[in-house]
Amino acid sequence: MMKTIQTRFGEVVYDPDNTLQFPEGLVGFESLRHFIVMPNEKEGPLFWIQSIEDPQIAFVLTDPTDFYFDYKVVPDGRERKKLGISEKDECLVVSVVTVPQDRNITLNLAAPILFAPSTNRALQVILEGTQFSPRTPLPKI
Amino acid sequence: MLVLTRKAGEGIIIGDDIKITIVELKGGGVRIGIDAPREMKVHRQEVFDKIKQENREATQWDIADLNELSNILDAGRKK
Repeated sequence: MMKTIQTRFGEVVYDPDNTLQFPEGLVGFESLRHFIVMPNEKEGPLFWIQSIEDPQIAFVLTDPTDFYFDYKVVPDGRERKKLGISEKDECLVVSVVTVPQDRNITLNLAAPILFAPSTNRALQVILEGTQFSPRTPLPKI
Repeated sequence: MLVLTRKAGEGIIIGDDIKITIVELKGGGVRIGIDAPREMKVHRQEVFDKIKQENREATQWDIADLNELSNILDAGRKK
């Protein structure tokens, strides 16, 4: 049974059995646990997720390895547990994208999102002692 | 807020499974040891605040931005 929510981008129809779950929310948005993955209308590396709990909140995401080939974040045991996956299960890394007014976008490589496709769960983790900035510009081509 | 005075080597117990130890006082800084369950997240305040702020800013975008950026990025990749 499909459901409908009103977002700041208009009406969104989604399948409640197929949502992305953040068991701990995102940093600063701890109460937002369920998101809809929105396909981008245009081709390209960007997509976005819409909060089901708060229609005002949506994040643009991207695969950081499209831009930074050597960027790698591996979940530890406790993170795998929260994602509901074992050592063998796949875990992808996704970055939150910030779009400033000048549209020179940045990736938050200091707090990546770990995503487990098999359980549809995701976790934003803060990397301690990392060299990566929460506001990393795209590499110069 | 509960405020306690501790010396180097002394500690604080919080609940059943969190232990804070004052390791060293040096050059205006305090080194703190934290024993907590692994599932408990421990972060420096300013790092946490920065990520929180960045997430908040990341919610300020529009569909027009996304379409425009997708065109630019996609063109870049196809070069």
